[in-house]
Amino acid sequence: MPAARRPAPLQQKKNAIVLGATLSRWTMSYFAAALIAFLAAELLMTLGYGYPSAPVESASTLVLVHLVVLGWLSLLMCGALFQFVPVLVARALYSDSLPLPTLVCLIVGLAALLLGFLQMDGFVSTVFAFFPAAAALLAIGFGLALWNLGRTLWAARPLPLPARFVVVGLCSLAATVTFGIIFTLVLRGVTDNPHLADVVANGVPLHAIAGLGGWLTFTAMGVSYRLLAMFMLAPDLDSSRSRAGFYSGTAALAVAIGGGVAAICFAASLTLALLAAGLLGLCALVLYGADMLRLYRARKRRVIELNSRMAAFAMAGLAASVILIVALAALGFFAQHVAATAFLVAFGWLSGLGLAKLYKITAFLTWLECYGPVLGKTATPRVQDLAVERRAIRWFFLYFCAVWAATAALLLEMPMAFQACAGLMLIASLGIIVQLVRIRRLLDVGVAMRLPPGIRMPQLLRCSVQHD
Amino acid sequence: MFIQTEATADPASLKFLPGRQVLAEGTLQIRDREAAARSPLAVKLFNVDGVAALSFGADTIIITKSGGDWQHLKPALLGVIMEHFMSGAPVVLEPIKAIGEVSSEAQAMVATVKEALRLVIDPELGYNIVDLGLVYDVAIEDGGVANITMTTTTRGCPATNYLKDGARDAAWSVVGVEFVDVKLTYEPPWTPEMMSVEAKRHLGIADGDGW
Ligand code: HEM
Repeated sequence: MPAARRPAPLQQKKNAIVLGATLSRWTMSYFAAALIAFLAAELLMTLGYGYPSAPVESASTLVLVHLVVLGWLSLLMCGALFQFVPVLVARALYSDSLPLPTLVCLIVGLAALLLGFLQMDGFVSTVFAFFPAAAALLAIGFGLALWNLGRTLWAARPLPLPARFVVVGLCSLAATVTFGIIFTLVLRGVTDNPHLADVVANGVPLHAIAGLGGWLTFTAMGVSYRLLAMFMLAPDLDSSRSRAGFYSGTAALAVAIGGGVAAICFAASLTLALLAAGLLGLCALVLYGADMLRLYRARKRRVIELNSRMAAFAMAGLAASVILIVALAALGFFAQHVAATAFLVAFGWLSGLGLAKLYKITAFLTWLECYGPVLGKTATPRVQDLAVERRAIRWFFLYFCAVWAATAALLLEMPMAFQACAGLMLIASLGIIVQLVRIRRLLDVGVAMRLPPGIRMPQLLRCSVQHD
Repeated sequence: MFIQTEATADPASLKFLPGRQVLAEGTLQIRDREAAARSPLAVKLFNVDGVAALSFGADTIIITKSGGDWQHLKPALLGVIMEHFMSGAPVVLEPIKAIGEVSSEAQAMVATVKEALRLVIDPELGYNIVDLGLVYDVAIEDGGVANITMTTTTRGCPATNYLKDGARDAAWSVVGVEFVDVKLTYEPPWTPEMMSVEAKRHLGIADGDGW
């Protein structure tokens, strides 16, 4: 970069884009859409919609499941990855314009999928073919996301360990979506290929494992390696243990998905493939757990922030899920309680981690948007000054307690108690969202520093780079 | 080569016009023999008895005499100037900066720039980049050029460009700084050990080995 001359600051600004990672403009919009889906799902659970009031395979449960996994968790993850993959690989996102059409396709596709489920039930009685529309839109939406993130990662090879977790997560997303599309097409009667019919009859566990285990969990694991190291000032881990965890996790997913499909097509034992995958997966999670403990211990920042503390609760949720799965399987009760474990994975682990990191990332992105441009020109608040942890912490506690109690209610088959806990989860989530809005609105920043000259109040749902 | 001479308002000074460029820019006043060290031409001129001071311009050499008669001095001076320009030797040597030998003026400016850089905080750690040890080097060159070498706590951090621009703007705010060049490096990578004692205390970090 040439020496900067005083009279030409604007020209300077243009060549300033050097190290890739900048502000991802639509990430806030992904987060907002995700949170709306999250609240909607919690409201439905509180009202007794879907499992446990209805059977697991009922249309209402399918609506609820996909509202959570696609509407909430997948949108959250996509939004976070558009911001975070460039940080992982120190390179700009391949395209800054694709995330918006991607988001539109995913939201409309999800709506079509939910309507398709309701149509299956006879609840919606139009003749419009919602399932094929959903299949097409979700394929395009996730296809665009995979293309954008894939090109970014491809250009950055060789990849650091956390980014390799993300790659495997993205491959699992591709598998999940492929299963989902096959399901919708067969259920709609678009195809009657016998292999595909077999996949629909037996493949739902594979679809769920690829989605919850591969796409959401594995990606979250990779991202947590880096985020926690960054926010707690701990060294980046890339030991042989971390790599062993990565390889056994990857192998677990390959055996579950690849081996599972092969077992279905050749009428071999699916249980055997899943058992092998389960053992490998257990290995991976134990190694991951050991790494996370090491990260927390090796941290330089003694007093850690709310997000890192709450992430620990989420990881405890993951550990509890693993223990629960192993215990139920050993006792022969797994089939009966698969929904309770899936609930704990989705709400205790994935949503818990998501909310904790959302609290941090929202403050960070808002800081970048409002105070990055005036850094060095005037005094600026710290990222921490945008949030009041004292106020947020009680909502987080309420959330985690409600999730654990709800899991217990499911295990004990107490639907009313489950609904009550879901109501508490809803209240806690609303409390957390109010905190997020306060962060976005800079309400907790001292008036003197709140809006430096030339800086606008940020938009709630969109990040825009502000120039001075 | 033909060297003209011109009288000046001061009878003790005489202007010589060698018809060549003397200095590429500015003027140079040389008041005594010690100050002449940077210029081989000035050294030779001071060797002529009766030369008290020199002033170099773009194409002029003004020589002030301490005594004596121009009639006697002039031929000797013309000879020295002629010989010098014919030899092709430089009028002034490029300033050679020995390590650690920075003028006190530049040193003071480095301190001021560092102070100004304290306005730039790392948003995540909430402490200024100087005390966090993120500023590896500040050097001031002639003409008010500030060269800043810095890093960020995390490679690929989304705040990188803002930190860099912020450091540039803060350095610019210092009077006398005309140019700023901020270089980003990850060699060596930053470790918490690079923080000042105050920064460590602020973040509740124990003194000890890097990671
Ligand atoms: C993160 C991604 C996803 C996850 C974690 C996920 C998870 C699940 C789960 C757990 C079930 C079983 C639910 C039950 O039986 O109550 C299921 C079923 C289903 N999913 Fe997904 N899903 C994902 C994405 C998709 C996508 C993208 C589509 C469509 C394009 C889709 C279409 C379906 C269909 C049609 C079924 C019903 C299959 C049947 O009942 O035969 N899913 N999904």
